[in-house]
Amino acid sequence: MKRIMIDYKKCDGCKNCSAACMQAHRKTEGTIYDLDLTDPENESRNYILKDSQGNYKPLFCRHCDDPECVKSCMSGALYKDPKSGHVFYDETRCGSCFMCVMNCPFGVLKPDTVTKSKVIKCDFCVEAKEEPSCVRSCPKKAIYVEEV
Amino acid sequence: MKYVIIGAGVAGIEAAKVIRNQSEASEIVMVSKDTFVHSRCMLHKFISGERDESGLDFTEKDFFEKCKVNWINGVEAKKICPQEKVVVLDNGETIAYDKLLLAGGADSFIPPVGELRKASNVYGLRNLSDAQAIVEEAAHAKEVLVIGSGLVGLDAAYGLVELGKKLTIVEMADRILPVQLDAHAAKEYQNRFEKAGVRFVLGRKASQAICEADGKIHEVILDNGEALACDLIIVAAGVRPALACLEGSGIACDRGVTVDSCMKTSVEDIFAAGDITGRSGIWPNAADQGRVAGRNMCGICSEYTDTYAIKNTINFFGLVTLCVGRILPEEGDIIQVKEDRSQYRRAILKEGKVEGILLQGNIANAGVWQYLIKNRIDVSKIQKDIFDINFADFYSVDAKGRYIWTS
Amino acid sequence: MNQCYGCSTCKSADKPLEEYIAGLSMETSHHRVESQSTKCAFGLQGVCCRLCSNGPCRITPESPRGICGANADTIVTRNLLRAVASGSGCYIHVVENTALNVRNTARSKGEIKGVDTLNRLASMFGIEEEDVHKRAEAVADAVLKDLYLPEYEKMELTKKLAYGPRFEKWKELGILPGGAKSEVFHGVVKCSTNLNSDPVNMLLDCLKLGISTGIYGLVLTNLLNDVVLGEPEIRMAPVGLRVIDPDYINIMITGHQHSMFTFLQNRLTDEDVKEKARKAGAKGFKLVGCTCVGQDLQLRGAHYTEIFDGHAGNNYTSEAILATGGIDAVISEFNCTLPGIEPICDELKIKQICIDNVAKKANAELKEFDFDNRPAVTEEIIDQVVEAYKARRGSVTMNLFADHGNDNTLTGVSEVSLKKFLGGTWQPLIDLIVSGDIKGVAGVVGCSNLTAGGHDVLTVELVKELIARDIIVLTAGCSSGGIENCGLMTPEAAKYAGPKLRAVCEKLGIPPVLNFGPCLAIGRLEIVATELAEALNVDLPKLPLVLSAAQWLEEQALADGCYGLALGLPLHLGLPPFVTGSKVAVQVLTEDMKQLTGGQVIINGDAKASADILEKIILKKRQGLQI
Repeated sequence: MKRIMIDYKKCDGCKNCSAACMQAHRKTEGTIYDLDLTDPENESRNYILKDSQGNYKPLFCRHCDDPECVKSCMSGALYKDPKSGHVFYDETRCGSCFMCVMNCPFGVLKPDTVTKSKVIKCDFCVEAKEEPSCVRSCPKKAIYVEEV
Repeated sequence: MKYVIIGAGVAGIEAAKVIRNQSEASEIVMVSKDTFVHSRCMLHKFISGERDESGLDFTEKDFFEKCKVNWINGVEAKKICPQEKVVVLDNGETIAYDKLLLAGGADSFIPPVGELRKASNVYGLRNLSDAQAIVEEAAHAKEVLVIGSGLVGLDAAYGLVELGKKLTIVEMADRILPVQLDAHAAKEYQNRFEKAGVRFVLGRKASQAICEADGKIHEVILDNGEALACDLIIVAAGVRPALACLEGSGIACDRGVTVDSCMKTSVEDIFAAGDITGRSGIWPNAADQGRVAGRNMCGICSEYTDTYAIKNTINFFGLVTLCVGRILPEEGDIIQVKEDRSQYRRAILKEGKVEGILLQGNIANAGVWQYLIKNRIDVSKIQKDIFDINFADFYSVDAKGRYIWTS
Repeated sequence: MNQCYGCSTCKSADKPLEEYIAGLSMETSHHRVESQSTKCAFGLQGVCCRLCSNGPCRITPESPRGICGANADTIVTRNLLRAVASGSGCYIHVVENTALNVRNTARSKGEIKGVDTLNRLASMFGIEEEDVHKRAEAVADAVLKDLYLPEYEKMELTKKLAYGPRFEKWKELGILPGGAKSEVFHGVVKCSTNLNSDPVNMLLDCLKLGISTGIYGLVLTNLLNDVVLGEPEIRMAPVGLRVIDPDYINIMITGHQHSMFTFLQNRLTDEDVKEKARKAGAKGFKLVGCTCVGQDLQLRGAHYTEIFDGHAGNNYTSEAILATGGIDAVISEFNCTLPGIEPICDELKIKQICIDNVAKKANAELKEFDFDNRPAVTEEIIDQVVEAYKARRGSVTMNLFADHGNDNTLTGVSEVSLKKFLGGTWQPLIDLIVSGDIKGVAGVVGCSNLTAGGHDVLTVELVKELIARDIIVLTAGCSSGGIENCGLMTPEAAKYAGPKLRAVCEKLGIPPVLNFGPCLAIGRLEIVATELAEALNVDLPKLPLVLSAAQWLEEQALADGCYGLALGLPLHLGLPPFVTGSKVAVQVLTEDMKQLTGGQVIINGDAKASADILEKIILKKRQGLQI
């Protein structure tokens, strides 16, 4: 499967990946220039964490080999696609129980901020049929796609 | 090889998947009383009318065809005969097995108070059939009494509030959700339910309930003498493993079916997983037990090790809560609390380790807490506010891009 | 493998140039576009604030305010005002130096080449001096006096230069500028840390800076230059890399302050100096035009036929001009002198000399222009250039591009020369507009950047779209350099125009795109517009006139843009000026401005869509005039 690899030492914390992710998942048409950066409905699926030394640690969904989120999903909304190996999320099936949020050992998942009814989860930008937006937006090449 | 699975809950379904993965050719038969595969965690969505039966299905589309599982539904296993290696069904038929999985779940526990067990308008909320009956009964009920304010009781109430019923919830403890939350967090939900019109009677229990001529209970008397009128009663006082069919089988039971770490029962070729064992409690664990059992049934040695089950997420009225580990403080604990208008957070620490976390209002990226608590990770060296701890503090990535916890 | 530095250069409207640059063995800005293609989204939207040590703060849904509490509107408008103030400062620096040069020339009884312009200014300013030098000095003094006024005293010439209805509008809005230098000061104070937080208040300041920039930095700089350098005359001239003649010692000039070159220009054609060139093995000296000062020289080329070879290219063509190997020295006095030319100059042993401290390049020798000592300094410069020629010729590989560009670009267009061409009155142009033979007028101004499709790409495509719609295009700035190298300023380009405009062009023997020269000449466009408005007795926003800075590049362009908005004109930009993170800024600039000044900002990166919008506006304005 393809995975977004992380060379965290290269991360500068510019959050361009987060902005690109918001842009890729916005509901309205438009460009990065008019992406509403104050609208809580625009949510990033990736995060730039900081450790106590202040080092940036990018947190991106791993699409795990044995995904805890899928194993804890009681509605069938989360599933690991046998072909691509990616973990996908079907919002229409989700029961909003957020067991997946609790069970992701890395803390990648979260409920959506506005309605608390769905999970904010990386979809590998499959619909765009290109490399994930975050990867394309990284000025440092701290994230890149590799077959693993 | 013929595998028979009793129960179409998550433990049974997960076991079937594992077995099919291991063995393309073997025969898999699933027997269940349930006629729809459904997620129990979503029954309130059925009660409220938000979803129909098929909307509760947690399996992938055409699961039984794809997985080649012969699903015999609408029947109940009546008896297990280990000598003959057959299961006797309530329709008189018998099914032979090579390997058997007991995943029949649990039944609602109706306490022996008055005539609760006898009345026709008293329901638990465990199966889709319960929810269906509640919906039918609720159609002509005005006042609903819920006994117990655990997750199931509140689920039922949450579904019925949507239908505009007048609801009263009786709880023995002095707060709602006593197993999951502290008083402060519980109050938040209580306020929201009350705002939606629900009345809570806390610190009280039902002491008397008599059936009237129509076979229904229309009044429940509490231990303080207060009388609560009702047309429909939902009892959410816990569940008991569904062990009826095991009588005479010689399969050892204590609280539930006794199993070893491989989910094997005391009897050869018989396994058990899920609520029937009395040791799962929550969905992910039941699923895990099902997978472990399935592997062992196929001869692959596998153990149920991640037994940690003191964890819950709650979501009512868009207020989400995550609670993992210990809720009640003990001597020697360090309690850290942070609260603002949108969230309440409480951590219980002991000897540098997190023993319990409660996050209400904001559970974003909170998955790390379970790992920290379950694995008793020492966090005392991390120079951060406890609530700012995240995976960055344990971060490493392996050659395949997988995250690895380090300290 | 070949010698090319890198194969991923950006696109260029000028395809031969694109190919030439792609084949170069040295790195240019065109090579760096791709590696800089990941843009910080917060920067793009203008919502990154670095005004205090708490920063940088960035606006996200989880953090809608900076630590200080500034929201997106405050952060964006503060950043914009900062940029506009800075851009205004640049133009005010240019007009200040130009006025000083006029005054010094007058005091030293130097040559006054543009007496007509001097008289025009004197009459506008109400100056009655018999002596031409005294008259010039008084004119320069009047400009300088205004520039040096405090912020709380309104500049006096604004009223004399501005179109009446506009002046009244500005007065009504409270945006009449005080002393131009003080306004820059006021602007930068206003947008400093924890001062102004009112987005509309700051946007009004941008307009005020636009007015002082436009009237002083643009309009007056042109006219003052005309006084000492001579007035533009319409003529045909060669453009592109072809203008470089390797038989001469070639000096590429970059910047915006033509008056600083006057003395040098004259000396380079003196026999004793030419002799120095001949001794070194060259036929003489040539100035090769680049950026706006090159455009300015081209505009007045009629006066400098011997020394000026022609305009080779605009800002992002400068590296290619140097890469030909035919340039021996670069003399620069302002932007747009790219830092990226430095390694190229090093490699090709090209001498870099700066004559204005504000634009000192790292590798260049600073020979500050000093009016009193100009003979001595000029001599030093000439000697250094000759030395460079001798040191490099023969040891540096030539990579000339003699086919590039064209020989018959129409140039020398100004508010005066154009009117003269039309027979001394605007009536023929007005008649053509009224009859619909010319649907409207578009000023396509500003710079080239490399990100709006590539070098000059949007500008040239937009121009083609506009002329195809019978909209005549007037240009000023680096846009001129790109458009002319693409051949759109030759009379033959009439074939790209719509049938009506084409007929007009063919009848008059002119191209459908008229080149007014440097960005400073946006001021000349404004004079044309004002005179047309006067003739029709309407205010500027009523004219079927639009502006586009399709490939605006820098802070100066933003100050120019604010002038356009203050004039009440629709202003098209290919890329947003880092404001889209603020809903208030976007609303005010694109919508509310229509009520404030009559202007509006249109942001669109697509040539066809932009032309559609601009055409629609023109048609609406025509309707308003009932034509």
